[in-house]
Amino acid sequence: MQGFAVALQPMNLLWCFVGVVLGTVVGVMPGLGPPATIAMLLPLTFLMNPASAIIMLAGIYYGAKYGGSTTSILLNVPGESASVATCFDGYQMARNGRAGAALGIAAIASFIAGTVGVIGIMLVAPPLARMALAFSSPEYFALMALGLAMVVLLAGRSMVKALLATLVGLWLAGIGTDLFSQTSRFTFGRMELLSGIDFVVVAIGVFAIGEVLANMEGREAAKALPVPKGWRNLLPTLQDLKDSRFAFLNGSVVGFLIGVLPGAGSTIASFISYGLEKAVSRRPEQFGKGVVEGVAAPEGANNAETGGALIPMLTLGIPGSSTTAVLLAALVLWGFKPGPLFIPENPALFWGLVASMYIGNLMLLVLNMPLVPLFAQVLRTPAYILYPVILGIAMVGVYSTSGSLFDVWLLAGFGLLGYLMRKLDYPSAPLILGLVLGGAMERALRQSLMMSDGHVSILVSRPVSAVMLSLALLILLMPVFGKINRWRLQALEK
Amino acid sequence: MKKAFALAVGMALAVPAFSQSFTPSRPVEVVVHTGPGGGSDVLARAMVLIMEKEKLLPVRMQVANKPGGGGAAAAAYLAEKKGEAHTIGIFTGVWLTNPLTSAEAKVSLKDLTPIVRLLLEPAVIAVKADAPYKTLGEFVNAAKQKPGELKQSGGSITSRDNVVRQQLQKVSGARWQFISFPGGGERIAALLGGHVQMMVIEPNEAGEHIRAGNMRLLAQVSDARLPAFPNVPTLKEAGFNVTPVPQVRGVVAPPGIPRENVAYWEGVFKKLTQTESWKKYVADNQFEEAYQNAADLSRFYEEFSNQMRGVLQEAGIKLVR
Amino acid sequence: MRAAKADFWSGLALGGLGGFIIVQASRWEYLGADGPGPGFFPLWYGIAMAALSLALVFFSVTKPGSERINWDGAGRAFTTWLALAVSVALLKVLGFLVCFAALTFFIVAVMYRRPLWVAAAVAIGATAAFYLVFPFALGVKLP
Repeated sequence: MQGFAVALQPMNLLWCFVGVVLGTVVGVMPGLGPPATIAMLLPLTFLMNPASAIIMLAGIYYGAKYGGSTTSILLNVPGESASVATCFDGYQMARNGRAGAALGIAAIASFIAGTVGVIGIMLVAPPLARMALAFSSPEYFALMALGLAMVVLLAGRSMVKALLATLVGLWLAGIGTDLFSQTSRFTFGRMELLSGIDFVVVAIGVFAIGEVLANMEGREAAKALPVPKGWRNLLPTLQDLKDSRFAFLNGSVVGFLIGVLPGAGSTIASFISYGLEKAVSRRPEQFGKGVVEGVAAPEGANNAETGGALIPMLTLGIPGSSTTAVLLAALVLWGFKPGPLFIPENPALFWGLVASMYIGNLMLLVLNMPLVPLFAQVLRTPAYILYPVILGIAMVGVYSTSGSLFDVWLLAGFGLLGYLMRKLDYPSAPLILGLVLGGAMERALRQSLMMSDGHVSILVSRPVSAVMLSLALLILLMPVFGKINRWRLQALEK
Repeated sequence: MKKAFALAVGMALAVPAFSQSFTPSRPVEVVVHTGPGGGSDVLARAMVLIMEKEKLLPVRMQVANKPGGGGAAAAAYLAEKKGEAHTIGIFTGVWLTNPLTSAEAKVSLKDLTPIVRLLLEPAVIAVKADAPYKTLGEFVNAAKQKPGELKQSGGSITSRDNVVRQQLQKVSGARWQFISFPGGGERIAALLGGHVQMMVIEPNEAGEHIRAGNMRLLAQVSDARLPAFPNVPTLKEAGFNVTPVPQVRGVVAPPGIPRENVAYWEGVFKKLTQTESWKKYVADNQFEEAYQNAADLSRFYEEFSNQMRGVLQEAGIKLVR
Repeated sequence: MRAAKADFWSGLALGGLGGFIIVQASRWEYLGADGPGPGFFPLWYGIAMAALSLALVFFSVTKPGSERINWDGAGRAFTTWLALAVSVALLKVLGFLVCFAALTFFIVAVMYRRPLWVAAAVAIGATAAFYLVFPFALGVKLP
């Protein structure tokens, strides 16, 4: 409760506000992410007291998550890697004229999830952190395998093509220097490929630029997307909220738990949440065409992961993602030592932070809801202005992450690939999934086998990983069961 | 008469202009090879702050992140800025070892202009607090009895973590596994979760866990005992005759920089190391003060490269240069 | 073009990629001293890729659907892409602002057949906006 006292001080409220606004702006810009922004503001933070500073920086962190969904929904441009899953249904909703509803549900889902995250931190932080330590390479591998099995759910019409796309994604993930042996793989002698291909480049290329190119086909493209009309489409309806009931829960819990694991990030959380939602939904075949819970689940997961990731950072000093790594560095720079003794020794700071997170989430909701109709008006822009601008934003965004022209080339290349994939009916979601999970999955597999001296049994002898792998197998076999079922029915009919 | 006077004044003014070597006139770019939050980035930002606080430079400094390729991108960037006096870079040992193993990393530290060496980062060998090993000797003996069973978490196989392991294995004949994890956080998690038995870790990373009683130190990887750990033996004291390979950080500049610029930078950094803020920073982070000027730094490159070559070859890692 | 034919060619292309991966992977260590080496994973997914591509090619030949792919607008899309590629190529020489303005002008004028003055206005306006927002307000460097 002392935390609320700290968080409600007017100065801290102000910094919280600044943080979330800045975060939202940053999140909207593709490529410009929270880590870089926080790093840029570090010198400024020395003039503030640490509590205010970390409140502001945390505000940036989850403000960015909110912002990322805006461009995903309106323009099919993921604002950051975790927003990719939001693109699937969010953009489709926008095409159906329901952009406002999509934005709104994203904001609400994020708020609920963020709140759950905060409650989670308050109640279970230290014990959960200890449990997270038991999670090791075999479990990570199983988690990744489960995520990858989701491709079955994202497949669309041709399973073969979906699997091929996933494999290409795995290949792209493997480009670069192998961690274990320091051999360069698939780098074609180019230094720029040594650390692999940045996910942002691929995602923006395939999604955004591919989309723009596809839209170029029509001679007359008056407006990019239908502008939502009427309250039904500008804001989520009660029916939407009802549909999303489970998604809210799903996103919050999945996101939070995955966030707690050091090394597993919000991208995985949002994909798994999306897949889970589709698996339990009553209308799975509609996913990908614009169902509201397809937006609510990943957005919630995205936001809850923020809360979860702060747990290992604050209780063990272990960063869970690149943003938490910067936050950690900031704490160290100010003279704190995050670790097991951080919370007992700095209760005011910790609880102040937690309380401000709750307030920040509230602020974001209040800020964003009225802005939703405003954002939706962006769609009014005529295509001939909008599309070049998207191309420009893409180029700037990609360049700003790495400062390398080579990446901009890659962007163009992946744009072409995205367009071709669209034409040839190859689904792009599995490609992204493969890319995101491929690296981590390979590492986890090799680490596991090293730990077990080559015995593959380590993957099933440990309970958690065994469960997850069985689930993954089940999901993979679902289409086979479905086919067998259909044969049976056909045979019965004869 | 007036003419002579004017001439004299002119010359008097000109003389300082000639002997004045170099002062930066635009913001200086500090290149680091990690993203925001990474080791070199944090060091660079701390350095920039201290420089501004102590007013050691007439201009601002700006950190430029050029991540990629384990330092290759940053090194290549510096190499391109030939003769540019307003760009410097923070290097670590990786800049020297990466070109040895990676064909694409074409620019080595030797292609750039050395300025100064600033810091050495010591390391400590840690185990979980409830492990049965109280000394390094016990751990190594246990490993000898069960070759290949015990495990160590660390970075890539060219990192210092593995170098220490190779050296210890060589002198003792024991063998234990090395499992790479991409981030310090994951390595610590692996140790604390009981999935690996030992790790080599930087003292400031381990500090909090030691205080909380989660970790125990077996030895220090340095020549002399660090003030923060008076009771932990060094490698030699623990009975292992290996020369610790240091983790080094310093400053480089693009190639083709004139002699006066180097001297200027040497001066600035020397003054930096003498400030109280810097000394405090070094002590807080448990680094070792290890200033060397440019000439000594060049010699250090050679020694370090040769040492690393030897270790890597013994470890069976393919060298490309 | 029939969808099946496109599948045939793309299947072959992916099969080629799979083959390439297998060849590369076999040059690296499959199983190292400590565990699986760098060749392990790529070999397996290379094999999977080759196998699945063959399946795709097979299906496209034996079970061709009747769908057609509409390539009508593709020419415009490719032209746009070419314009993008050219502008990326020129980034190093001319810088972002110029290249972006040129690209925008091209898209508006050629692709959308708007009057030239509209194209110019949009190009200049958008470029100015970029300049103001990015380097000026946010301090982000432009390519």
